[in-house]
Amino acid sequence: MSDLYRFPSLEWFEAVRAEFNADDAFRGAGGGRCDCLAGFQIGDDFYLAEFEGFEVSSVTLGSEIEKAKADFFLEMSVEQWCEMVKNIKQNGHAILEYTLNTIDLNMLDGLSKSMHGDQYREDLFFRYNQTIQFFFDASSRIETQYA
Amino acid sequence: MSDTKRPKFPSTRDDPEIEAMEVPPPKLNWMNQSREWHTRIRPGKKGLTLGSLNVGIYGEVPTHWDDQNRNPRGAIPAKGRLPVGYTVSDKSEMWAPCAADLYEEAIQRRWAPATDVPWHTIKPLPEELERAICQVCTELTQYANIDIEVISDWQHRMAYGYHEVKQFLATTTLDAARRYEAFRKRALSNGGGLGLEPTCQMSRALLESRGGWTETVVALTLVRGLFTIVLLRFLAKYAYNQAELTLYEHVNQDLARLVTYGLEHLKYCIQHTEDQKSSIGTMIAISVGMFSRDLRDPVLREALAIVFGGSVAQARTVGMEVVFDFLEAFRDEHIAACRYLDIDNSVERMPRAFRPREQVETG
Repeated sequence: MSDLYRFPSLEWFEAVRAEFNADDAFRGAGGGRCDCLAGFQIGDDFYLAEFEGFEVSSVTLGSEIEKAKADFFLEMSVEQWCEMVKNIKQNGHAILEYTLNTIDLNMLDGLSKSMHGDQYREDLFFRYNQTIQFFFDASSRIETQYA
Repeated sequence: MSDTKRPKFPSTRDDPEIEAMEVPPPKLNWMNQSREWHTRIRPGKKGLTLGSLNVGIYGEVPTHWDDQNRNPRGAIPAKGRLPVGYTVSDKSEMWAPCAADLYEEAIQRRWAPATDVPWHTIKPLPEELERAICQVCTELTQYANIDIEVISDWQHRMAYGYHEVKQFLATTTLDAARRYEAFRKRALSNGGGLGLEPTCQMSRALLESRGGWTETVVALTLVRGLFTIVLLRFLAKYAYNQAELTLYEHVNQDLARLVTYGLEHLKYCIQHTEDQKSSIGTMIAISVGMFSRDLRDPVLREALAIVFGGSVAQARTVGMEVVFDFLEAFRDEHIAACRYLDIDNSVERMPRAFRPREQVETG
């Protein structure tokens, strides 16, 4: 029986990171090298993932200081994040309503934000959108217990 | 290959006449010609990138490139050659600090519509919907065609000293070619075909633009490029199958690089050229105005309303509401981009085409 990971938690992100890094399928076809610091604001928790080349080299549980370091961060309530992760688990990948693109369009202030206001860094979300999506799609391969 | 099977050719050593010929020793006088030798750049975390080569004299990027030949930056220029006649030879006319990185990104994140799109997921759609999708694809195909011609037309006018930009722009013409391919394939893959050629003053203006590359960049990236990006994001949200979703999302990443270049070039240009900010502001207003006139043509709007609404019946209500959302989203993105460039813009100053709800309310 496979391990059960609580979402959100650092262990959950580590398990997804391991899945993502291990599969070559995430490296081609719209994916490929990706270099950015992506943040995930999940309720009160903030996680910072370093995308480096073909892999996510680290995920850390951060604070406001780490948030300022992020090129961009994706912010939703815990309930919204859980809904997205559940959808990915059900379908093996995000279906239309739950892709990062759709969620971003549906949110009044957008899903992707930054603290620095540097458009070049903010736009990394759009330039690397597929890779960030692939990262979350990799979560379909782990067993998740929701908060 | 074994010796027995190797074909036998006569050797010059076997010919006494050739053997007797006097061959002058090679001069090799080109061998000590280098402006800087002993350059040994090592790959970094991202590999041996184009940007990492900018060390010593090879990293000197002058503000003006005098050389009128095809001299690669850092090489010794040849004398007595006929001038090529570059018209874009100031750094501020084309430079973006991120060009080398964008080039690497384009090379490393490439994809192939032939094999990377799950075409098998496309299933027959109601004819009215298929016609609408095909019309949208026709328009996107034409945009891509124009991009190829516009960018390649400017490339040969750009001085060689700024190779990072020229190389990046070469990837954008390939990206545009792929975009052309991708949408043509979608239009011809599900029982439909291409629709009407769009009315496009903007395309003509782009093709005939002679005011400089920077002026072209304004219209190409900040107006139509950004418009296309927002359009693709909405199309991705309303995709009818995984193939379309893949197409829209992949193309969007490609186009985002071009728009990033555009923004960063305009920012650089404003920072390094006196009075250029007000000129760029004027160029933006003219380009947006011209593009809004294109949008008076109902073809794209109606086709999009059908795609977003799911049918002709739904197009007038649900579909058109989404079209309005899309036009407003473009407007807001455009204003945000202007703000990034410190150029005044506001909802009120945008043409009415981008204030669609206001039009409806005032009749």
